[in-house]
Amino acid sequence: MIITRSWLNEFIDLSDVSDEKLYETFNSIGLEVDSIKKIDIDDHVVVGKILSVEKHPDADKLNICQIDVGSGSRQIVCGAANVMDAKYVAVATIGAVLPGNFEIKHAKLRGVESEGMVCASSELGLPHTGKGIMILDESIGDLEAGQKLHTYPSIADTIIELELTANRGDCLCVYGVARDLSSALELEMKPFEYKSKEKPKLGIARVAELHTKGKMTADLTFKLFNMQDITNSFLVQLRLAIVGVDIQDRLASLLAYTTHSTGVILRAYDTKIFRNENDKIVVNPTANDKGIIEIMGNKEVASVVGVNQNEVSIAHDNCKEVLIEASYIHPETLVEAVANTGLDTDDLYYKTSRGANPDLSFGLKFLDLLMDTYTDISHYDGALDVSIARENTTVIVDIKEISSIIGMHVDTSTVVNILHKLGFEINAMGDDVFAVVVPLYRHDIKHVQDISEEIVRIIGINNIQAKPLVFPEQPRLNNTTDRYRIKKEFKNRATGALFYENVSYVFSDKVLLEKYGFPLIEEDLELANPIAEELNTLRSTILVNLLNAVKGNVSYSKKSIPLFEIGAVFGSKREQSEVISFVFSGQLDGANVRNSGKPYSINFASFAQKIGAVIGNFELRPCTYKNGLVHPYQSADIIIDGQVCGFMSKLHPTVQESFDIPVTYIAELDFDVLMPKHINATPVSKFQGVYKDLSIVIDKTINYYEVATILNSLDIEVLKDSYPVDIYEDETLGDKKSLTIRFFLQSMEKTLEDFEIEDVMNQIIGILEKQCKAQLR
Amino acid sequence: MKELEEKIVLADSLETLEKVRVELFGKKGVLASEFAKMKDVPGPEKKAFAEGLNKNKAVLQASFDVRYEALKAEEIERVLKSEAIDVSLYGTLAQKGALHPVMETMDKIIDYFVALNFAVETGPMVEDDFHNFEALNLPKYHPARDMQDTFYFKDGGLLRTHTSPVQIRTMLETKPPIRMIAPGTVFRRDFDVTHTPMFHQVEGLVVDDKGTVSFANLKSILTDFLKYMFGDVEVRFRPSFFPFTEPSAEVDISCIFCEGEGCRICSHTGWLEVLGCGIVDPNVFKAVGYEDVSGYAFGLGVERFAMLMHKIPDLRSLFEGDIRLLEQFR
Repeated sequence: MIITRSWLNEFIDLSDVSDEKLYETFNSIGLEVDSIKKIDIDDHVVVGKILSVEKHPDADKLNICQIDVGSGSRQIVCGAANVMDAKYVAVATIGAVLPGNFEIKHAKLRGVESEGMVCASSELGLPHTGKGIMILDESIGDLEAGQKLHTYPSIADTIIELELTANRGDCLCVYGVARDLSSALELEMKPFEYKSKEKPKLGIARVAELHTKGKMTADLTFKLFNMQDITNSFLVQLRLAIVGVDIQDRLASLLAYTTHSTGVILRAYDTKIFRNENDKIVVNPTANDKGIIEIMGNKEVASVVGVNQNEVSIAHDNCKEVLIEASYIHPETLVEAVANTGLDTDDLYYKTSRGANPDLSFGLKFLDLLMDTYTDISHYDGALDVSIARENTTVIVDIKEISSIIGMHVDTSTVVNILHKLGFEINAMGDDVFAVVVPLYRHDIKHVQDISEEIVRIIGINNIQAKPLVFPEQPRLNNTTDRYRIKKEFKNRATGALFYENVSYVFSDKVLLEKYGFPLIEEDLELANPIAEELNTLRSTILVNLLNAVKGNVSYSKKSIPLFEIGAVFGSKREQSEVISFVFSGQLDGANVRNSGKPYSINFASFAQKIGAVIGNFELRPCTYKNGLVHPYQSADIIIDGQVCGFMSKLHPTVQESFDIPVTYIAELDFDVLMPKHINATPVSKFQGVYKDLSIVIDKTINYYEVATILNSLDIEVLKDSYPVDIYEDETLGDKKSLTIRFFLQSMEKTLEDFEIEDVMNQIIGILEKQCKAQLR
Repeated sequence: MKELEEKIVLADSLETLEKVRVELFGKKGVLASEFAKMKDVPGPEKKAFAEGLNKNKAVLQASFDVRYEALKAEEIERVLKSEAIDVSLYGTLAQKGALHPVMETMDKIIDYFVALNFAVETGPMVEDDFHNFEALNLPKYHPARDMQDTFYFKDGGLLRTHTSPVQIRTMLETKPPIRMIAPGTVFRRDFDVTHTPMFHQVEGLVVDDKGTVSFANLKSILTDFLKYMFGDVEVRFRPSFFPFTEPSAEVDISCIFCEGEGCRICSHTGWLEVLGCGIVDPNVFKAVGYEDVSGYAFGLGVERFAMLMHKIPDLRSLFEGDIRLLEQFR
């Protein structure tokens, strides 16, 4: 919403209010200032009266003007064609400095002396008001040659752009903004009253009639005019340009200007559309069952109230007979109806859907004033009306309640004063209790908290004393809080193991997920309006996102790329779960003096070690995960406490190639399984333990975990631990391999004797010989 | 005697000194043989002889000790020297990853409210119309829905556009008093220089008996919170509009880049908008079946906080896993 200081001044006297104060007030009452711009016009720019214009002898497009600039006549060469029609113009005289540091000096144009410049609006830092130079008229004030242009308040104006919240349709017009200011600044509104000077020739009922059909939900007023000629004032042009409305049509300009000033929605019809067979103008507002009101012409729809207008019904400047309509429809009814019917909406819909001004006669009087001033027009007496009995909302307001919502005592007189200025009607009901009648233009106000908001914004939040809340003591460390703490711990460990935390979109590319064999969301549960092709579904793995991040880093010449992410993934029924995913790509280490600048690539063992540093102890078994990222011979299930909770793998070489990244390892684990479990301690022995190595030869096909399973099933009390320490294969072993396992034996009661140790080792050898055909080496 | 002392002083290594020690103090050493002569010394002179010997022994022992310490020190110095390295070569070996600045900012925010006895609550990312809009006083066709461009699913579900549905879920599941925050991931269908389709919010809600929770309370906690996050800044409240709070306000801090002078980042206003807040709208309480309560709520965008706090210039870079950005937070 754009307003200007001089425009506001038509409704409220702001002469004692500085721009700074205006800016501050707007922000403090909830009309946020987006931008504020003061138009500065150089002292040397003055009103010039054109005395004569003749063509330049040597240039088709140039004109030689003699212009009275107050201090005398000047010869100025001007290139704009419309200078021919001008009487008063803005002249930058010698010495003027225009925006862009453009200084006006004596010049000779094609051999003709020129002492100044006739200005277009944009050359003075004003918005573009149309082709050619600015043609001034009395709409900005009395014109006299030599008058400094910056003395006209509507030119040297302050332009303010407000960012309105969705509930403030009442401030989508200059009048509404002025009303808010009147309450905040404690200033009275200027009364607006206008009665047409010209005596109407005929009553409207003689030529036109109105018949409604169905339940009317809109207020409508129609007035009829005969139009001979219509001109446009410079002020209207300039202000519409400031507001950013670009309309060539002069009648339409006047309507747009009136709507922006008053908030009343206006449309102009060529009466042809309403003329029936008997040459009578018949207007048929017709309500349908969806709450839409169509203004029916003789054969077709002329407009839909608050929504759009049929192109053919629009009255243009050459139209001889014009029907002007002012309308109001409640925004909530309208918005719902439009959503249900899918009707096309025009520019006015933004205002009607947010709430226009219901005071139709105000808008029409304002228009009358403009019409009488700028047009050669005659109007019919009276109007065709549809008037709805609307009940205003009444809110019972208890001052004590308002004070408790704000947290500060507020005086009754303050509340009454504020509401009164905002246009609320107040009826006392008892001590500090009032029935407040809400004006129609504040359809957003429904209960006492809404009223409190009005009080808060006008007294200013910064004038409310902050007060800490006293609150019942209660433990509030719940599971979610705990989970955050634990997650943070995992993250910290991951950064200790070199990983960088990644955050990526919870979206993914369906094609990629399908290609790599990850679950897809069922078709009828899919996203209906994805924002981009590569983000067209919810992810079922984080790994694809991480690989994309790796690819980006490779292009930034990163050699070692360790990333992790904890985040949501979704199953085929869109069920949400949380996983922790890792990717490590390229060099294990940076190039440094220790590795002589030739760091190793990441490998399975180092990757496993890093994952362990984050998630703690785990067991690895051949991978049961089937997806396109997994390397079939270098991948494993990650098992914690006997439960499979994820996998780690070398990235499949074909995927590595298609992402164009170096050797990469990946892992993804269910985060729930990683949540720490309760631990009970087991006693430790005071006696010395002993390490024993055992080398066995077994089939190459036997994985270590199968041996470990056998060892773990042994019921030998003194066998505390066992783990592989060497693996050896060569030609002489054929399809066998040699595996060395280290055992740790310890008793709770005593230091073990040699024979006891030997006995345990023999038991172990026996079972391995039996269950996996192991031979001692 | 002089000769013996000289031997000690001239010993140039611990080995030589050890040989000298054996020669002098050993069982068959010089001193031992001198003491052996005692038995031949006539009675009256025995005392003086012994005293003389002991004195010589003490002198020799002292100079031996001095020499020993000196040689030992030399020896250690030699070993130490042989182990010398250029330590400055290894400073670059130390490596560590880094937490994501947005997540770290979120943790910092959570820390503050947990310390003030707020519970942390969560909810699903895929929501329904009731929890995300309807119960928050955003009925269908409400113009404020335009502010939140929504991702919908084919079955009518949607991706939550704010963390506020967590308030609704918590209120439906528990009874007041409530004191909670809801940190989480939210989605809006918007993608340009200043918008990403996914970002993070932290939402807060406090509910207690009617007449107890006021706007003044909200002002108190948020002013303190913003000073905790941004240091010594000025805090300004501006009235605003949110469907789920009434009265509502937006909260600004004085620009931390130009200290209020006006710069590009604060659009020359001297202020940065960082929070939205307000008194819970009675329609929200009605939707969850609460009666005779009062409450406040607030919400903030974590990315905005992180970008301001760490002067991160580009929003979209936060979601690209760019190590050049992340490694700055090690």
